[in-house]
Amino acid sequence: MSGARIGIESYRRRQGFWNAVESPFVVHLVLFLAVFFVTAPLVWELLTSFKTNQAVYDLTYFPRNPTLESYHIALVERGFWRAIVNSIIISTASTVAVMALGTPAGYVFSRYRFPFDNLVFTFVLFTRLFPPIGLVVPYYRIMGLAGLLNTRVGIVVANVYLWLPLVVYIMRNFFITIPKELDEAARVDGCTKLQAFRHVVFPVVLPGFAAGTILTFLYSWREFLFAFTVSTDLSSMTIPVATYLFVGDTSIQWASMAAAAVVATIPSALVVFFFQRYIVVGLTGGLKR
Amino acid sequence: MAFEETRRVPQTTFGRTKRRVSKLLNDHIRITLLGPALVSLLLIFVYPVAVLVWSSFHRTLGFVTEFDPTYNYEKMLTDPTFWSAVEKTLTYSFGSFFFSMAAGLVIALALNRVVRKRLRDTYTTLILLSWAVPLSIVGVTWRWMFNGQLGVVNQLLVDLGILSSGYSWLADPLTAMALIVVADSWSRIPFAAIVMLAGLQSIPQEMYDAAKVDGATSFQTFWHVTVPYLRPSFFVAGLINWMFAFRAFAIPFSTTGGGPAGATEVLAIYIHRFGIELFDFGFASAVSMFLVAVTLIIASIYVTTILEQISEIAE
Repeated sequence: MSGARIGIESYRRRQGFWNAVESPFVVHLVLFLAVFFVTAPLVWELLTSFKTNQAVYDLTYFPRNPTLESYHIALVERGFWRAIVNSIIISTASTVAVMALGTPAGYVFSRYRFPFDNLVFTFVLFTRLFPPIGLVVPYYRIMGLAGLLNTRVGIVVANVYLWLPLVVYIMRNFFITIPKELDEAARVDGCTKLQAFRHVVFPVVLPGFAAGTILTFLYSWREFLFAFTVSTDLSSMTIPVATYLFVGDTSIQWASMAAAAVVATIPSALVVFFFQRYIVVGLTGGLKR
Repeated sequence: MAFEETRRVPQTTFGRTKRRVSKLLNDHIRITLLGPALVSLLLIFVYPVAVLVWSSFHRTLGFVTEFDPTYNYEKMLTDPTFWSAVEKTLTYSFGSFFFSMAAGLVIALALNRVVRKRLRDTYTTLILLSWAVPLSIVGVTWRWMFNGQLGVVNQLLVDLGILSSGYSWLADPLTAMALIVVADSWSRIPFAAIVMLAGLQSIPQEMYDAAKVDGATSFQTFWHVTVPYLRPSFFVAGLINWMFAFRAFAIPFSTTGGGPAGATEVLAIYIHRFGIELFDFGFASAVSMFLVAVTLIIASIYVTTILEQISEIAE
């Protein structure tokens, strides 16, 4: 016993530098700095949003007389409440469409063999690898011809293209973890194939479904490229686009812009706060090979 | 679940039709479940890609187009502003890659050392915040913080006595590029950290115990146990971060808009400028084809060589 202990002691002494690097102090210092780096811009945005524009020009760090004036200007006077409504409608519709199309597709890829199945699956992954910026110009033209410029439908369609392949991939990876015996047992009990999927396998994969839903909602909420290209007026514009357009003004009302930015960030921040676990599962589950 | 079939279905026309449809759907289960997704992808992916290829071979003359397969590509390859955009894109994507992967790695290693799960989850949540912020918001926020007169960064530097007066970060080509690279990494660090943390947590504890029994130093343990296990997550997260930075639009566009004087005009902004603002669909499509080709070539080389090597090591 004592011999082993001396062995451990000398083993520890040998480490010197590496011990210091791995000490709780260093670990927490690193994480503290990381958290500071991540949150500082957000805290600054939040502080600015409670200032008046005059306070911004006076270069005060903290709002002396906190006010909601900037929120009033951004949301009511500039009409950004409509952008929020658009964002909610577009993100919800995109998520419903993507999950409804992607979940069954992921199930098929996890269960059934069919001619060219690997090729079809590779095609789905390929659409994800394909840079969306390459499709912006064709989309703009097609949407123009279809009369979908400046409509919410146009943005939802773009979101389905962007996130459907991702969800198919994530859901397939979740379905693979569920043994096929479960389907077979359901079939023996008299379920049809569809019933086996709907009533037996799907409930088991609900955590994965939740992860996919949350990821798709967040990604649709923050999508900028297509939302910006397809829509340029407030009737269909999303909140990230509306906030960006503040910057294009000749004289920027920074405090109001900060208020709009805070409003655009709050839903994502809340989702991260409450569903952190699902997001981590979704981000890493989508990568398992 | 199963009773629907055993329950007696009333022999009405509706009941019979319903059963027939249900049988049809079940007999073609693959088409029923996969068909809608594939048809959607055909309509909203394959069709636009076809339009892209078609446009790239056409010369845009106002509202009409003329078939001229080499015109746009020739114009692209001989245009110095195009090559400048390529250079900016490479600087931007590799800068963001190195910064986000290095910071992500350090954060993942630190997070893995936090034993208490509640505490680790709190850190993860806080670090994930930058990932959740819409990219255009990241852009305008950084633009605002580094504003020459009113930005908080200048204010702090002046108050701390580091600068004598505010500096226009976004007016200098070098600092403007550095700034968008940092802003881009800022939003990509959490993804890198989370993926690598998952990699670290998949390392069996026995490996560490064995290393300890063998008397390995911390560095040896790190090098011979942690690094090999971490490699796949590192390369996958790295590929994704690089690829997304290579095609990035929202952050450079909303932070600098490509300025000053094109110093931060990456390919995505370049494509947007020609295709959406100047209506030169043909030329923008040709540049898009270039960007797509580079991404796909690099991604496939990367996936086939590096990931294959990893699976060889792992086996």
